Amino acid sequence: MRATHLGDVPSAQRTVSRRAVLRGGLGAAAALGLAGGLSGCGTALSAGVAGTELDPGTVTYWNLFGGGDGARMLTMLDTYRTTHPNPLEAATFTWGNPYYTKVSLATLGGAPPDVAIAHLTRQTNLSEADLLTEITDDMLALVGLKPSDFSPKPWEAQKVDGRTYAIPFDLHPFVLYFNVDVCDKAGLLDASGKLKPIQGTDQWEAALTAAKEVTGAYGAAVATIDEPSTPWRWFQTLYSQQGGPPWLADGGQKLSYDRDLTLKTLAYLRSLTESGLMPENTDYAGSQTLMFTGKSGFYLQGEWEITTAQEVEGLEFGMVPVPTLFDQPATQADSHTFVLPRMERDEPQVLRAMEFIKSMLDQSLAWAEGGHIPAYLPTLQSPEYKELKPQADYTASADTVVFDAPAWYSGSGSTFERVVGAQIGLVQQGLASPEAALESIHSQLQAYADTKSPLL
Amino acid sequence: MTAQTLVQAEAVTARPGRARRQPHATTSAWLFIAPFGLFYLLFLVWPVVYMFISSFYDTTLVRSGFGNFIGFENYRQMLTSPEFWSALWHTIQFTLYTVPPLVILAFVFAVLANRVGRGQTLFRLAFFLPFVLPSAAIALIWSFIYTPESGLWNSFQSLLGVAEPTPVLASPTLAMIGIAVTTLWWTIGFNFILYLAGLQDIPRELYEAAAVDGASQWQQIRSITIPLLSRTTTLVVLLQIIAGLKIFDQVFLMTEGGPGQATRVLLLLVTDTAFTDYRVGAASAASVLLFIVILMVTLVRQVVQRGQDRREA
Amino acid sequence: MSTETVERVRRRPRNGVSAAAPAAPDHIVGAGTSDRAFTVVAWVVLVFCAVLWLIPSLWAVKTSLTSNSTSAVGAGPILTDWSLTLDSYTTLLSEGDLWNWYLASAITSVMTVLLVVVFASMAAYALSRLRFRGRRIVFALVIGGILIPPQVLIVPIFQELNAMGLLNTYWAVIFPQVAAVIAVFVFKQFFDGLPRDFEEAARIDGAGFWRIYRSVVLPLSRPVIGAISIITFVDVWNNLILPLFVLSNPKLMTIPVGLATVQGSFGQRLSDIQASAILGALPLVILFLIFQRRIVEGVAGSGLKG
Repeated sequence: MRATHLGDVPSAQRTVSRRAVLRGGLGAAAALGLAGGLSGCGTALSAGVAGTELDPGTVTYWNLFGGGDGARMLTMLDTYRTTHPNPLEAATFTWGNPYYTKVSLATLGGAPPDVAIAHLTRQTNLSEADLLTEITDDMLALVGLKPSDFSPKPWEAQKVDGRTYAIPFDLHPFVLYFNVDVCDKAGLLDASGKLKPIQGTDQWEAALTAAKEVTGAYGAAVATIDEPSTPWRWFQTLYSQQGGPPWLADGGQKLSYDRDLTLKTLAYLRSLTESGLMPENTDYAGSQTLMFTGKSGFYLQGEWEITTAQEVEGLEFGMVPVPTLFDQPATQADSHTFVLPRMERDEPQVLRAMEFIKSMLDQSLAWAEGGHIPAYLPTLQSPEYKELKPQADYTASADTVVFDAPAWYSGSGSTFERVVGAQIGLVQQGLASPEAALESIHSQLQAYADTKSPLL
Repeated sequence: MTAQTLVQAEAVTARPGRARRQPHATTSAWLFIAPFGLFYLLFLVWPVVYMFISSFYDTTLVRSGFGNFIGFENYRQMLTSPEFWSALWHTIQFTLYTVPPLVILAFVFAVLANRVGRGQTLFRLAFFLPFVLPSAAIALIWSFIYTPESGLWNSFQSLLGVAEPTPVLASPTLAMIGIAVTTLWWTIGFNFILYLAGLQDIPRELYEAAAVDGASQWQQIRSITIPLLSRTTTLVVLLQIIAGLKIFDQVFLMTEGGPGQATRVLLLLVTDTAFTDYRVGAASAASVLLFIVILMVTLVRQVVQRGQDRREA
Repeated sequence: MSTETVERVRRRPRNGVSAAAPAAPDHIVGAGTSDRAFTVVAWVVLVFCAVLWLIPSLWAVKTSLTSNSTSAVGAGPILTDWSLTLDSYTTLLSEGDLWNWYLASAITSVMTVLLVVVFASMAAYALSRLRFRGRRIVFALVIGGILIPPQVLIVPIFQELNAMGLLNTYWAVIFPQVAAVIAVFVFKQFFDGLPRDFEEAARIDGAGFWRIYRSVVLPLSRPVIGAISIITFVDVWNNLILPLFVLSNPKLMTIPVGLATVQGSFGQRLSDIQASAILGALPLVILFLIFQRRIVEGVAGSGLKG
């Protein structure tokens, strides 16, 4: 806030002339007229004044894709524009809570976008809050789609009360990147240049040790500071590999994590950083730079960083699913889905929205080039996708994905991630013991669990 | 100024001769007041009432109506949640970081500018121009300056030889300071003008008399300027404190309460609770608590000013 | 120096404030070298600080005139690259929603000013000139209203606008800001100071209150109308928290909200971001440069009153 509004404090004498005010007023009116004369302002004006429909006949589409994903999405939107006559208005907002707040408020206020992106773990909350329109089989049929066109795992996971509110677009799991050069020197590659399979913690630590000897710095890198999502994803992957139960139950009203398993996993994460195999303090950008510059043999992150890696000159890298260090394969993941925010739609509007979604699905291959695993089976099972390298190497992780437990305070970029991820990071940095961290997590989450869900 | 003072002032002017000529006109008066009164009731009174009522319910954003009555549950939950107290602390922290420099520096600039005499328009332009800019503009300008490594500030530090300049807005300890510096740059002009005006009101004779007595410039400032500006200073300090408690714009725009929760202030907690978590009832309780704090400071201001008025009378 | 002297001098009637420029410099050249040194130091400090204060704005301007690719590299290249380009400005003015934001800001600001000036002056006229039942209560309510900080009410105001179906219209931004109690207070103070002769004469001629208000009081109130107009205009233009939550669609956003979303959506287009900040602030800067003296005098005058 500024010191005060200019008018916060009463004043006594003014000597502004009427002429000056009129001058200002005319200036404003002129600006108005000028602005109104430009195209597009007409509908904004009437919408702002009388609440008429903004952009009739247009498809409005909101997403939260920045960086590489954002650029890729823009190209896909251009393709849509070349094949569809109706105008398209696309807007990108900041990833995470700000985006979902914007979508929610817009829907409440009666002016939502026609189509919006939503993480699978967040759209369950949006649908429970009555902010989404159900997508029926008839609507799918309008553009020739049916439920069986999609990977069963995300398709089933998105359902709320047996009804569909979201169309899965991709799966984006946590994966393992490796620096080919470093791993070659460490003897971790097989004859064809692929990474030798790593199974179990012993082989994992052996691989890291070998890599560390080559790099002189670290074996593997994962972000630990300034970034709650990554520590959570790393933890959740290993926790689920040990068969850990979901963290939340009853829509978030109960904390159902396995205490011993959590402590064991946290201790293991700490042992990796304490022994120097993995760095204690590195942020999102730092952790990938370590691998890019050969100071680390491996790098753990979501598959979307493939674009960043491909742009590094002289870097040869590969990607595989996160190795099974424990009992069963598992990978933390989320899915981007298309949702239809709740609003009055006539049939042409529904058709336009569905056609837009279909156009995006048809371009799943382009989207997959950004690292994401398509949820659209025709693309997933196509020969073109199978030939994409290194994507083909980690497609298998789609079968073992674990989604975050549903709760009104959970999901990608949510309070849950923020609370838990921050503590996990502290453990990795050696700033908190597993017991203390879990204590803190439990009390913070319990407060949310005890709070009645605002979605009811 | 209190209602009482004003009413007394009016009584003074309503001398017998005048009173006869003042028309009694209840209906007309209410008609004149009605339009403004409508907005006052709708957008000032009702929101306050709503805020109090819904703080006792589990009102949610996505359902209509107030919801279920839960008594003091929202207050209990807020007052026992570490998030609330840290938000309160960050708000106070921001106020502590901004009030002293905004008062002292503005005073210094004004005194110097007054002494120097010429070039006032230029100084006024330099210090006051930022004040008319929208918060969003200054946030963009300063976020850019604070860009890690390549921004103006970090580059400047590198130039001075600092090995690894810390990114300001990403560091939990520096973020609030960064926001405070931005605020200082943005709003100092207002206090500068207030002080300048107050300074010009001090009669020259006082300084002349002091100079004749052999007082140096510094002594003149200390014994004449500062005491005579005490009213302005009180005003400035109290206004700044209230503004600090209401802080929202810069924090939302520059850090969104981050890194982590390091800069999350009360009003940000209120809007997050209401609009992201959908919990309107809880947010209302937090708003009421903030409202009470601001009210207390405002009342302090009234009391202090009434005391000053009385002393001067 | 005796307290008597101080008191005697202080009780002299205060002149009107002129913050525009003092008639003569206030410094007293007294004892010689130490005072001269003081003045020199004062100059140096002031000029240094003034330059320091101008740097952020100038930096923003310089960056906005540099290409996006150069800006993305860092501060050094921005400083050294003097091949100025207007690309950022042409991009913003031809694509995107900037014009829509100007429209929204212009409409909301002008409309609020109109409503505030008319309604507040009417209410103030009643409070100042008319005796009526409940006058003291109303005035107490006005004073009390000043105590309420509007930002704290953002949540209930949102709920109310939602219930009224006004979300995502300009009115959602205009209406809550019409309840500007300060304006009533300022108008009333001004009216109280107006001589009543003209009004008395008009009353004798049989004019009604509305006539008097419109034809006698208002024309005499140009100064205060101008001041309130400017203050309200700037406050509404710069308001962020209200339009941030009640306007969702990028096409309807006011300048501050538009700028706030730009940072997220422009990515690495750093020059464009700085240019948008400048374009967003430009109308107000122009306003300030034109009305500089009045604005400053207004602020200064408010300080005296306290």
